[in-house]
Amino acid sequence: MSSRIELLNAGLLRSDGRRPYELRTLAINFAPQGTADGSVTYSHGLTQVRVSVLGPHEPKQGTRRETFHDRATLNVEVQLAPFGVGERRRRGRSDKRLLELAASIKSTFEPVVQTHLYPRSTIDIFVHVLQLDGGLLPACINASTLALATAGIPLFDFVCAISGGVYGTQPLLDLTTVEENDVPSVVVGVMPRTGRVTLVQMETRLHMDRFEEVFRVACDAGKVLWSEMRDALRERTGDLVDKLEAGPGMVVAKETEETYD
Amino acid sequence: MASTSKAEKAYIQSSLLSDPPLRADGRGLIDFRTIALESGIAPIANGSARVSIGRNAQDGGGGTEVVAAAKLEVESVGDGEGVDGGRVACSVSCSPTAYPLLSPNALDDLQHDMTSVLNATLSHPTIRPTNLGIIPGMKSWLLNLDIIVFSDAGNIFDAIFMAARAALWDTKVPITKSVQYRAKKGETQAMDVDTDETALVGSALDTRQTIQVADFELPDYWDEGVPLDGRQAWPVCLTLNLLPTLHFLDATLQEEASVPLKLLVFYSFPSDATPLLRGMRLLGTGASDLTQVKSLLKDGEKYARNVWVALEGKLKDEDFRRNQKARERFLNR
Repeated sequence: MSSRIELLNAGLLRSDGRRPYELRTLAINFAPQGTADGSVTYSHGLTQVRVSVLGPHEPKQGTRRETFHDRATLNVEVQLAPFGVGERRRRGRSDKRLLELAASIKSTFEPVVQTHLYPRSTIDIFVHVLQLDGGLLPACINASTLALATAGIPLFDFVCAISGGVYGTQPLLDLTTVEENDVPSVVVGVMPRTGRVTLVQMETRLHMDRFEEVFRVACDAGKVLWSEMRDALRERTGDLVDKLEAGPGMVVAKETEETYD
Repeated sequence: MASTSKAEKAYIQSSLLSDPPLRADGRGLIDFRTIALESGIAPIANGSARVSIGRNAQDGGGGTEVVAAAKLEVESVGDGEGVDGGRVACSVSCSPTAYPLLSPNALDDLQHDMTSVLNATLSHPTIRPTNLGIIPGMKSWLLNLDIIVFSDAGNIFDAIFMAARAALWDTKVPITKSVQYRAKKGETQAMDVDTDETALVGSALDTRQTIQVADFELPDYWDEGVPLDGRQAWPVCLTLNLLPTLHFLDATLQEEASVPLKLLVFYSFPSDATPLLRGMRLLGTGASDLTQVKSLLKDGEKYARNVWVALEGKLKDEDFRRNQKARERFLNR
């Protein structure tokens, strides 16, 4: 008996008791944060990220050179809470892994955000990772989609990302840190409405014959995530509409409408 | 931080100086906004807390929000930075959401300023908990206190210190057991592991004089532990915003921008002794004189005591909620 954690047992259960295609619990909270235009706290299992979107706004002093005359620029910054990971390590702003993560998020959203509507302006996406247990990039992307949508920034479509892997010949979805360390994994970001894929990222080796299976399963999982995210957004928008109707001004407007009838 | 025009500043100043003083949100000069505190929010940390000042009750937004978490790591004394008996290191980092107008470099400077204020007060050897040592002269705990500012709507230092105090109050130090390795009599190959509990008590037959403790082990499950020693001692901060002839508490961003001078005082109130002034800072461009500072310290002590009492009550509530109630819920499930 080895001391390694058994990632998938004979009954097809994973180390945390999930089935191979089972996703972890999703919690989406739209509580506003500071002065941000759109903000989301997104927990996926034990991974938790906060994303705030500011803008579109005039670029800051000194960064005006990087703007374009025909579209908005996306500015993505990722910070990692030092207490959110197992081994405490301070990662500065110039940490290579965080810069790479930010670059992945930026390149994922550049074709999705309708940047041509806001020339010479900037849209800030600030990501703060509070807890980390696998699936960091998918969590960041899903949370950013939701935050952009709450900020009222026009998107062509959602981006729903999920990680997948293969254990033996069995595809797995939504890997935890333990699984990510041992299993070849791939991150897929799909645009569920159009069925297009904006992101495929793989840092490990995976056999060609297995890739297609994982990829298909991950695309399906993206659609499942989409329904969850869409429901959360609809609920929030519904709340906003209710609040609008509860306002004193709206009641007056309704009454006047009735008198006109 | 907020861009406030001269006219706006003059308006805020004159309304503060009018009789009765007026503030935009209708508070009195020494009234605080609502403060919310929750501890135990980061499961991987040894202690954590979230504090928000002036959060909007309807949607949970707005206000100043600060998260603090303490994490312990083992450090060897002698080589490197370790200190016999452990040490506390604080750091503050600001989310760009909190200060969207600042450039990354300015944000770094601001973080550094806040860190230095926090470090000077909380890392001081006189306030260090006594149970951070593991093996005298060899190993000790390094307590990393990380603070993240998520949003700033004024009075950030009070929030930071409250969060720090709550996180340190919540911190549990794992119980360690010292371990000694020694050769059994007669055999040289086999090593015997001996814990210090038996070794320290010592039998009458044992004639060894000194006990060389070599290493330690964690006898308990990892999240069990004892609270930090002297957790009552961590100070609270009170910011007095000084406008010539008056002072007021818990300023919003606009109010902060329109006063020339801020005085931070750090007080702790041990139950059995006189109040301790742990430090003070004068921030801003204005100047003050000694007699004014003296009277301010006296007033500050009075206000700080109120903050202290309220915070103490809340922390005990949180302890109760997280320990006793959780246990009852577990049993009645």
